[in-house]
Amino acid sequence: MSKNLTPQSVITEEVTLRYDYALGEVAGTFMDGLKQRKILATRCSKSGMVYLPPRAFCERSFEKCDGWIEAGHEGVIEASTVVLRGFEGSRPPPIAVAFVRLDGVHSAIANYVEGLDLSDTERAMDRLAPGTRVRVQFVPEPQGRVTDFYFVLAQ
Amino acid sequence: MTEQVAVLSTWQSEFKLRHPSMTYVEQAQEAAAGCMAKVSMCPDDIDAIVYSLAPTAFMGVADADRWAIDHIFGAGKPMLRVHTGGATGGSVVQAAHALVRSGMYRTVMIVGAERISETPDAQKVLNQIFDPFYEKDMPLQTITAVALMANTYMRRHGITQEDVARLVVRQRRNALLNPHAHLKGNITVDDVMASPMIAYPFKLFDICPRSSGGAAMIVGNMDAARQWQTRPAFITGVGAVSDSNWIGDRIVPSAEYDFIDWKLMRVAGRAAFERAGITDPIHQVQVAEVYDAFSIQGLTQLEQLGFCASGTGFLLEGEGAWEMDGGQVAVCPSGGTLCTNPIAVAGLVRAIEAANQVMGTAGGHQVKNVRRSLATAVGGIAQFLTCSVFSHEPYEAH
Amino acid sequence: MNCYVLGLALYPAVQRAAGHRLEEMVYHTAHAALDHAGIHRRELDHVTLGACDELDGRSISSMLLAMPAGAYLVDEIKVTDSAASALCLEVARLKSEEFDIGLVASWCKSSKTDVESVMRLRGEPFYTRPLGMNMTMSDAMLAQAVADQFGVSAAQADERVVKAYARASANPRGLAQAVPTLAEVTASPYEATPLRAMHRAPLSDGAVCMVVASQRWLDRHPQHRPLARIAGVGWAADSYRLDRSRLRDFNSARKAWAQALRMADLPDASSVDVMELETPTVYHEAAYEQVLGLGASTQISPSGGAFAQNPLFCTGLVGAAEAVLQVAGQAGAVQVPGVRRAAAHSCHGYAQQGNVFMIFEGAAHD
Repeated sequence: MSKNLTPQSVITEEVTLRYDYALGEVAGTFMDGLKQRKILATRCSKSGMVYLPPRAFCERSFEKCDGWIEAGHEGVIEASTVVLRGFEGSRPPPIAVAFVRLDGVHSAIANYVEGLDLSDTERAMDRLAPGTRVRVQFVPEPQGRVTDFYFVLAQ
Repeated sequence: MTEQVAVLSTWQSEFKLRHPSMTYVEQAQEAAAGCMAKVSMCPDDIDAIVYSLAPTAFMGVADADRWAIDHIFGAGKPMLRVHTGGATGGSVVQAAHALVRSGMYRTVMIVGAERISETPDAQKVLNQIFDPFYEKDMPLQTITAVALMANTYMRRHGITQEDVARLVVRQRRNALLNPHAHLKGNITVDDVMASPMIAYPFKLFDICPRSSGGAAMIVGNMDAARQWQTRPAFITGVGAVSDSNWIGDRIVPSAEYDFIDWKLMRVAGRAAFERAGITDPIHQVQVAEVYDAFSIQGLTQLEQLGFCASGTGFLLEGEGAWEMDGGQVAVCPSGGTLCTNPIAVAGLVRAIEAANQVMGTAGGHQVKNVRRSLATAVGGIAQFLTCSVFSHEPYEAH
Repeated sequence: MNCYVLGLALYPAVQRAAGHRLEEMVYHTAHAALDHAGIHRRELDHVTLGACDELDGRSISSMLLAMPAGAYLVDEIKVTDSAASALCLEVARLKSEEFDIGLVASWCKSSKTDVESVMRLRGEPFYTRPLGMNMTMSDAMLAQAVADQFGVSAAQADERVVKAYARASANPRGLAQAVPTLAEVTASPYEATPLRAMHRAPLSDGAVCMVVASQRWLDRHPQHRPLARIAGVGWAADSYRLDRSRLRDFNSARKAWAQALRMADLPDASSVDVMELETPTVYHEAAYEQVLGLGASTQISPSGGAFAQNPLFCTGLVGAAEAVLQVAGQAGAVQVPGVRRAAAHSCHGYAQQGNVFMIFEGAAHD
């Protein structure tokens, strides 16, 4: 079956959808905590779990988390990567990202790892290996966004 | 009283980056028409439809299933659209399975299409799937997130990038025998290692392509099988499970199912295997079409499905255990999702390939003497898992 | 295999759930439904969700919403047609005998986004979207067709509005909006002819969850008393086009209703005492009344239906919850006396492209 239209015939449209995401019960408190240079985790007394990122309910007990705990500012890398190809809307590469389990918390939270020479990827990955301890650092003027803090190697 | 569920017909398009001469709905139509024509069924023979469509931001029309209904000869029929992210294609098979097994419908057509290339930046779309407060500020799109897991897995089990590259080589070579596959070729480990690093340890060749195309499968009860398909594949086991969205919960010591080793696949696999009467996978299952958008993912699933011990999958790769010819189990004889990823139907393609192998209709990449096969699908960041078993014999209660 | 509703919960009807994130709305409702059923989340062997990514504001919204809906480490699946469609799939899952006890969950925070932008995105790009086709326009065309086909005058439409709000005002589970006067309705501005603003049920935020169990599960747990048996379900979707026959024949509604009746082994609408209709406009109500043959013995939307609350995607399942409460004798101030069977309806897509029917029977009558 032959067609008269050229294979490149297209209709172009740009679509923008605006969303208002409510902060809700928990994210608001976390973000306010960041402004005070605190990393606040939620705790469920039924299961005993302490969570970062904080959440309103515990998946295991299916009960509301009923306490806030200040997470330690040191922790251990659980997983990491160095991103070499950039994507629109994210920081220009190379960037190091890690999930870190901060002291006193059961689950890990992700953030950038700064202060590392990323030019030798293999060496950087060794220095970011799971089990490595890192420290939290805050930006000079916290805004109430998760990027108010980042990780640096502890030693 | 429950019914047997038999695969009567399957159909796939050629998968590639673009199908510029067809609209989305024409792709879906081609799949629906092709699937029916293969077994001389007509639209009136289809009692219900399950539509396979995941995020629509790629092809730019919300609820495109509603638009497609006329094109797939579905106007007036019971239709449901299922969406579980990347696992959609596996979930639609299980939804259709329920519709037939329950006795509610005699025949069900599963159909869908994908057009990822309609938007230039699929990854930006995929960045929408993260929690807007905690993770969007990170480059935590799918590639990065799986890379994080892969590094830990490889360190834990002493697996090198070259070990993983051998899987890529085998599957690209398998795909040469699959006219539907997107990426295919005789590449080497060096080629994989030389491809650009995206997010350590993933190089370009460790990552699936963005594929466009259509696919369909028709399932029916025993009565329908007698009428239309003398050699069906029976769906004898289905299993699915969903985990927490929080990656940080799943990679820590307190995780109930450690994400690093993909332990969650055990749960979906166990459910499907119990139903299918599989107790010794490596001897009872001849083909495993596992959903592997990333090179690390296929064998980690195989390990948790009980084909080999945790951390040994890639070592066994090096020994030829997963080869189509002469291996212990043929892993992704089609090339897998690693070679072809039309997200909305990727899981359906795995199921189609698994069913074809049992039905003896896999063509160039047909494995010999397939009595049972399995297909998996993965959605979210390995958050939604499905596993389905196909058998040459009808389901039997155990 | 018979299926029963063991428990249910509605998120308190609200125009705008500002204080809660969507996850929190879902969690509270799921937990309340489990409590109502008297079971713990850990007893579930499956979860069936109904939700729409575009309305939720995220791609693959179930990534964040499956867990609040109780799906942690559970077999979970999601449909996107409508909340009522999720209940239909749920029935199939139970009847397949692969599952015994599940949670159906659905939610919609319509205040969170520009709904009409989402509706416009559902327009195919070549012939439909350039015209800005959306819910307003498609419902207006339906209203025009219905007015002609079923002989519904503007005055009759206006009266239906007042009556719907009056019914809704008695419903403790609704928004308790003020009942307008006839004059107010007649004077409300046209949004797209012949639809006046007040002919349309205003949107709200909400969530609804139901615990559903198989006969087999109930036999093993005799201490549980179900609220209702799901006697029958049926669903169908029409052509996408909006031509004359599509807007007048109500083909998918007729088919879906016939399927539900067949499954319930009932002859016609006279067998149901209540029909909770999903009516985005009062013209829908007028049409369905005739299409389904609803006579004097069937009360239409005693809950007030969409005029009591209308969380868009899940309105039909809210109606189902109301129908279940009717047969269970727990509908409170809007209880219709002596209800043996109650049906609920949902419609979705442009100008009721898809229709779903669910028929519930009092559990005591088995």
